[in-house]
Amino acid sequence: MHTTQSTLVASFIKYAFITLTVLLVTSCSSQSDSTSSNKNLHDQFAPESGGTLINAMTGEPSSLISMIAGESASSAITSNLFNSLLKYDKNLEIEGDLVSSWQISPDQKTITFKLKPDLKWADNEPITSADVLFTWQAVTDEKTASPYASDFLLVKNAEIPDPLTFKITYEQPYASALDSWAGLQILPKHRLLGQDLHTTTFSRNPIGSHYYKLDNWTHGAYLKMSRNTLSVLGPAKIDRLVTRIIPDNSAQFLELMADNIDLMGLDPIKYARIIPSRPELQDKLALYKELGNSYTYMGFNLKHPPFDDVRVRKAINYAIDKQEIIDGVYLGLGINIASPYKPGTRWSNPSLTPYPYDPDKARALLKEAGFTDTNGDGILERNGKPFSFEIITNQNKEREKSAVLIQRRLKEVGINVTIRSIEWASFISRFIKTGDFDVVVLGWGLGLDPDQYNIWHSSQQAPGQFNFIGYQNSTVDKLLEQGRLELDPDKRMKIYHEFAQVLLNDSPIVYLSAGYGLTAIHQRVKGIDTPSPPAGVGHNSYDWYIPQPLRRNEMSVN
Amino acid sequence: MLNYIIKRILWMIPMLIGISLISFFIMHLAPGDITNNEASFNPKASEESRQKLREIYHLDKPIIVQYGLWLKRMVILDFGKSFASHQKPVFWQTQDKDGNITKGMIQEALPITLMINLLGLAITLILSIPLGIIAARHHLGWQDRSITLFNFVGFSIPGFWLSLLLMYWLGVVNNWFPISGLHSLNYESLDTWDKIKDTFAHLFLPVVIPSITGLAGITLFVKNGMLDVLHQDYITTARAKGLNERKVIYTHALRNALLPLITIIGLSIPGLIGGSVIAETIFAIPGMGKLFYDAVLMRDFPVVMGILTIGSALTLVGNLLADVAYAWADPRVRRGVAR
Repeated sequence: MHTTQSTLVASFIKYAFITLTVLLVTSCSSQSDSTSSNKNLHDQFAPESGGTLINAMTGEPSSLISMIAGESASSAITSNLFNSLLKYDKNLEIEGDLVSSWQISPDQKTITFKLKPDLKWADNEPITSADVLFTWQAVTDEKTASPYASDFLLVKNAEIPDPLTFKITYEQPYASALDSWAGLQILPKHRLLGQDLHTTTFSRNPIGSHYYKLDNWTHGAYLKMSRNTLSVLGPAKIDRLVTRIIPDNSAQFLELMADNIDLMGLDPIKYARIIPSRPELQDKLALYKELGNSYTYMGFNLKHPPFDDVRVRKAINYAIDKQEIIDGVYLGLGINIASPYKPGTRWSNPSLTPYPYDPDKARALLKEAGFTDTNGDGILERNGKPFSFEIITNQNKEREKSAVLIQRRLKEVGINVTIRSIEWASFISRFIKTGDFDVVVLGWGLGLDPDQYNIWHSSQQAPGQFNFIGYQNSTVDKLLEQGRLELDPDKRMKIYHEFAQVLLNDSPIVYLSAGYGLTAIHQRVKGIDTPSPPAGVGHNSYDWYIPQPLRRNEMSVN
Repeated sequence: MLNYIIKRILWMIPMLIGISLISFFIMHLAPGDITNNEASFNPKASEESRQKLREIYHLDKPIIVQYGLWLKRMVILDFGKSFASHQKPVFWQTQDKDGNITKGMIQEALPITLMINLLGLAITLILSIPLGIIAARHHLGWQDRSITLFNFVGFSIPGFWLSLLLMYWLGVVNNWFPISGLHSLNYESLDTWDKIKDTFAHLFLPVVIPSITGLAGITLFVKNGMLDVLHQDYITTARAKGLNERKVIYTHALRNALLPLITIIGLSIPGLIGGSVIAETIFAIPGMGKLFYDAVLMRDFPVVMGILTIGSALTLVGNLLADVAYAWADPRVRRGVAR
């Protein structure tokens, strides 16, 4: 009795599974029907304005006042709403944003900015130098507690001789001054005077000056922006921007596949494997890759022996196969670097080459440093102590995988490595701040200015500062100090080229890779520069357009 | 009975203080604070500014002093303001002098999570009670076996995996349901009827998937409760006096078999506000689970404490309600309480 019943159940389930599989397969094959409007996706269209661009991000901004927010979600939105005095052009050279010109005094201490005339905030009030002075006062105010205050605290004196002139004087020449002003978004004084920037409702309902203005921010769902007709830089082509908040990357990708969003950042697997294997996605998505301003590295705690020995550091550098990490972890979507600057920019020294993968050289250097395998267990020893250390990293899949590949390569030269992955806040406060680590795998995201004083200068080693690996080199100290005082770009370039060379030779960190930023944009969006200029694919997003026939049903997005 | 309830409510006060004290200390056991988040690991952000933030939030004070400050605010039911969201109120909205309203974080997240979980609980109960009864009536029969199999397959399938598959199948391949979010982008411009339709379409997957995976527990409870009851003498009596099987099952057996469910529902009250981090992340729903998880990662202490306090208060209330409901439903218990 029981046996017949269970066979019945089993065959029923088998039947159900087959039906389900058949259903899935048939529905998959019929999916191209739903995208029948794709036929003219690749036609040529003249630029026209209108339409809505929908993108997505994983986090929600904490505030739309970027001087206190700090996270990328916030700057992704505010960069459409606010202008700075200066900005970077598509070749990453500084040009005026709100200002028409600026002048540096002969002693290099005073900078005079001239605002463009007749600028308006989105509420039709004029933009004047008083707004700029107000913004400077706000960012340096103790109560604001802006993480970026230090750049602006160097300004000794700021004055506004007339409504279009803003004049600042530094104690001594500050080379990163222009870069810092390109990063400070100017806020409207008439809206914010006397308010606490942390509690003001302006941070959720801002008035700006850029191409777009914020219409609606629905918590946890989306931010909607529409064209600012008073934009100081003229009109953008696309009428409306909608940014949806979708925390999960896979869900975002499903939305992209279903045509519900137009643009998203990709990881290497989606870029190199998933999209190329699906013709319908390849047809409707354009893929872009560009070098980002960040790199992954393995850093030694230079206060812990044997990492105080440059031969050991070099040996480990030779023993790690960086190309293997780029191919295995980033699916080839990264490059090998030899200096802490974005390759192809002025600051990156083209004469430097990365340490090649050379295990024999590594073994020789380790031997020279006194490491030999005395007991024949495959692990090197010095003074009877086996060479063994722990790599720590935060919970980041790519960094964890890189650490595993490093572990294997170091094992081959006789070094025993263990790996520990730790949640971010604990990682920083328990290990990095206390200096209680041997080796870290981490990344640096860098600005466009070459000054890296905070990371490499020997004075920056206190707990909470950024030279946590304890790097100390008097030549580098001197170069970094010089670089901060030198405003002439060509002289500065020489200084930082030399700095990168000393750094490479000292090998306090092993550069693992600089990954590409990967983006997919729906083919309905036209006017995108290819190949991307150094400033990236989004540099001219105000010039992007969506031709009428390719737009979504506008009713569905308003 | 009233005495009993009052006594239980008064007991909740010291218990809540104890719970909050332990929570507060455990929360501070995890290394790091709000100034250690990933965005602040930026060479442009100086340690001095982080130190200043620590002072603003009193994080430089000893933990017991911080707890005192927190308790002092809690006495007047002030849950404080979030560190991470730049002073957004944790619990309920505040109004500034110009009449601008800033909504509270829990105020925004709680209704969403409650709606999803209540709908989910309703679906679970509606499905699991009949399934449990069928399984018990046909104990060891093919109905019982297929129900058990179905339940355990549902229980074992990882919810996020099933979610992604169904999102792909129903949202991308067939475009029958929206993939993520709570509303369409044009929600504001819809009429009431379309708004309701839109909301239900968005809620379908987030509500149905957890209900399927949650079915197993309650079905088993109902089935075992039924099996117990069906072996009681009074059921034999009922059958012996010639009642039809329908009446035996639904009038005599079921009411007694469902008693343990009261406890389960009472215990699930705190879960109703908890929300699931994974489901909320996948479906882009700004609910309580995501709020709590993010707050923990950011070390946003006022938010963590706010949610823990409300959660523990609701747990205590849920227990009390379950006990009271039990006493109301079961005379045997009632006599015990009165004594």
